[in-house]
Amino acid sequence: MESLRDIRQNIKAIESTKQIMQTMKMISNARIRRAQEAMIAARPFAQKMLEMVDDLRPDILAIPQEENAPENMASRFFANLSGQKDKIGLVVITGDKGLTGSFNAVVLRSTLQFIKQNEGKEIFIFTIGKKGRDFLNRLRMKNLHIVYESVGIFPKVSYVHAELLGEALLKYFLEENLSDITLIYNDFKSLASQNLVQEQILPFALNKETKSFKEHDFECEPGLFEIFELLVPRLIKANMYRVLLESQAANLAATMNAMDSASKNAGELVTALGVKLNKVRQANITNEILDIVNGAEALNS
Amino acid sequence: MADKKLIFNLVTPQKQLVTDLPVDMVVLPAFLGEMGILPGHIQTLVQLGMGPLRYKQNGQTEVFAVLGGFAEVVNDTVNVFAEGADLAGQIDEEEEKQRIKALKDSLSKKDADIDFELAELEIKQALTRMKVKKRRF
Repeated sequence: MESLRDIRQNIKAIESTKQIMQTMKMISNARIRRAQEAMIAARPFAQKMLEMVDDLRPDILAIPQEENAPENMASRFFANLSGQKDKIGLVVITGDKGLTGSFNAVVLRSTLQFIKQNEGKEIFIFTIGKKGRDFLNRLRMKNLHIVYESVGIFPKVSYVHAELLGEALLKYFLEENLSDITLIYNDFKSLASQNLVQEQILPFALNKETKSFKEHDFECEPGLFEIFELLVPRLIKANMYRVLLESQAANLAATMNAMDSASKNAGELVTALGVKLNKVRQANITNEILDIVNGAEALNS
Repeated sequence: MADKKLIFNLVTPQKQLVTDLPVDMVVLPAFLGEMGILPGHIQTLVQLGMGPLRYKQNGQTEVFAVLGGFAEVVNDTVNVFAEGADLAGQIDEEEEKQRIKALKDSLSKKDADIDFELAELEIKQALTRMKVKKRRF
């Protein structure tokens, strides 16, 4: 049987752990409000931008081929025409730290699945977050090339991070002639739940139902092609910014939930140990009384 | 035509500053010069430079300092996607001056580990904000 002292020590340890977890929960709670606001504020830009590109699509696809030989930049971003099928890109966004429940595990599981599905292809990987980077580094597979990594940006994501990521994406998309780029991340659904999202970010998958604009409906200044060349990086960066913020908020929410249930569990453990402590103490007292009574009786007889 | 209005949106990556506001006129700081937009304008896509963006609503003019971006005019809706935008009234000249000074100081140090292009861009942005603040419309 454990001694009273052991149990008391145990209770003390658990209680201080609980304290830490509660503090962590409070920290995420305080940060999440800011993260959520930033996320909501960033949503319209990316959304409206996509709508605009959608409006422009007929014009963009009508850019004559020879205008930007040898390759039609525009169609490169909209339809997968010239990319090689055996080179693809993958963006994986995880958190930097554990203690977030299944937040990272979910992303990594589907990453692994994606890698298995695309066996034999060269995969160019862009990782955000320590957990994802470490995991992918450990895989040591020949067809994986980690070309971009960024760690320690949470919980202070700024537009600069999105810019760097966007530039890297564009560079490899064009230079390595990737056929497409897929993104895996956690979307912020609510405080209580995150959504795993796996989507293709390049070439642009736009709404099928194009609005009824005819070609060359737009007057452009400077030319459409010049604008388009500037627009694409902006769009990608805006989108990446939104995704990073979503992931950040989701990460904080996951931390909060994990810490909440952990401190609840700790509370339960403390209660159970308290009961045990009382039982042991009572047993000790009973034993001592028995000893005394027995001793007294022995003396009397 | 007097009762026809433009719907004006101004968004930056960080924030949506103006949402679906009915206005009478918008003047955009287009890359190749200022460009006034009135209701009934042809569908247009322009690249924006750094400069003042104005809109008129019921005779009142509101001014923003815009730091580049794009604008789209579709069906009497003006969507402005700006890299950054500040309401002219909220610009603090003193703060901008100090920012420029700090940037210039760090640029003049030879061994400084900074991104020159970025610093130059920031100086340009601060100057734009100051210019917009000083200008009277």
